[in-house]
Amino acid sequence: MRSVSRRTVIVVDDHAAFRRQAARLLQAAGWEVVGEAPDGASAVRLAQALRPDAVMLDVGLPDSSGFEVADALGSGPDVLLVSSDEDAGELARERERAFLWKGALSTDALARALGAA
Amino acid sequence: MTLDAPSPDAARIAPGTLAVLDAALDAVVAMDGRGTVRFWNRAAERIFGWTAAQASGREMAELIVPERHREAHRRGVERLVGGGAPVLIDQRVEIQAVKADGSEIPVELTVTRMPLAEPLFLGYVRDISDRVAAEQQLRESRHRLLEAAYATRRRFERDLHDGAQQRLIGTGIALQLLRARVEDGGELAELIDEARAELTAATAELRELARGLHPAVLTQGGLRPALRALTGRAPIPVSVDGVPAGRLPIAVETTAYFTLAEGLTNVARHSGARSAAITIEQDATLLRVTLSDDGRGGAVVGAGSGLDGLRDRALALDGRLWVEDAEAGGTRLVLEVPCAP
Repeated sequence: MRSVSRRTVIVVDDHAAFRRQAARLLQAAGWEVVGEAPDGASAVRLAQALRPDAVMLDVGLPDSSGFEVADALGSGPDVLLVSSDEDAGELARERERAFLWKGALSTDALARALGAA
Repeated sequence: MTLDAPSPDAARIAPGTLAVLDAALDAVVAMDGRGTVRFWNRAAERIFGWTAAQASGREMAELIVPERHREAHRRGVERLVGGGAPVLIDQRVEIQAVKADGSEIPVELTVTRMPLAEPLFLGYVRDISDRVAAEQQLRESRHRLLEAAYATRRRFERDLHDGAQQRLIGTGIALQLLRARVEDGGELAELIDEARAELTAATAELRELARGLHPAVLTQGGLRPALRALTGRAPIPVSVDGVPAGRLPIAVETTAYFTLAEGLTNVARHSGARSAAITIEQDATLLRVTLSDDGRGGAVVGAGSGLDGLRDRALALDGRLWVEDAEAGGTRLVLEVPCAP
């Protein structure tokens, strides 16, 4: 049970500036950001090591697609795919994955997509 | 030059005429009703590699007709001599011919029957290897240019996506966090709200620009999700049918996508349609993309319409694009490109 501690999340994106801003936003929404990764391979390793409750995952990663990483993460963490391309939501819908357009990221949108922190 | 007269009739061809035929730039050959060579000019010697002396008296089919077509050729001669309806006579056809060294060349051929009692058929044969090769080169270079243009657009889109778009989105999140720390109603809050509104507009403009260059979803997922996104933004309902589940060559997908995007823009602006339908059909060799609407019709390609450039793209893929008025009213925009599944 994690009722006393905040839910944990890792942020996966190849843009360091975005990871920083997204981490701040997640913290503002009540999440504990326990790690960041710039690509798919390190994201999978980090998730295995830290076992976060959720992963915020960019669709376009340098070494693989976010969808492949999401599959590799298995059924452990909740996965929220994000992209600056709104149309990538169609790809997420095909794969029945939760998706948020980066331009619409807000504490409210995060709460709707990932549940309460 | 030789003319093995099969009959006194043939011998009556004026020597002057033979001289003219012998000097012709195209191969001129003649055969009798048995399919035997009776005349072989200098161009025929040059093109096919048989001298007149070698060719004379031999069967035409053996000399220049590729083996796979010889039986059909022999049957054709028999039918013609027996009074059957001519198939090739006095028509221009493009076929393959075989040379003395066994290699094949594309030729343009017309056959005419000499007005003599005995059957004598004169064939004019033009070697079109250079033209066919030039056409092939033109097709290939046009195709490469289109591929290069698409690759450049994909790179620009990628650069916008990775650069400016990410920065604007990061800035938006920063302003959002900043705004959360500022109380409502003050001048500071107002300034931040204005900045956020401007930023949202800039992000939207950049997104449209990037999408117009190349929709990233097309690269990542192909036509199916790209068309769902496209039709989802259309101001009228658009049904989509028959999108192939698998991926197609990127140049084909891109051309199909932009044809439909431009077509839908035209439908929304000019047709007065209440709905539209996209249908994609694919057989063994061809992809056909159709956009139908129930508007007022009368659309044309050309006259500076955005479809001009798309028709060029279709041609670069050895395809074609046209618009037509549908029988039931409205307009149909059709793109056909060669594409094996």
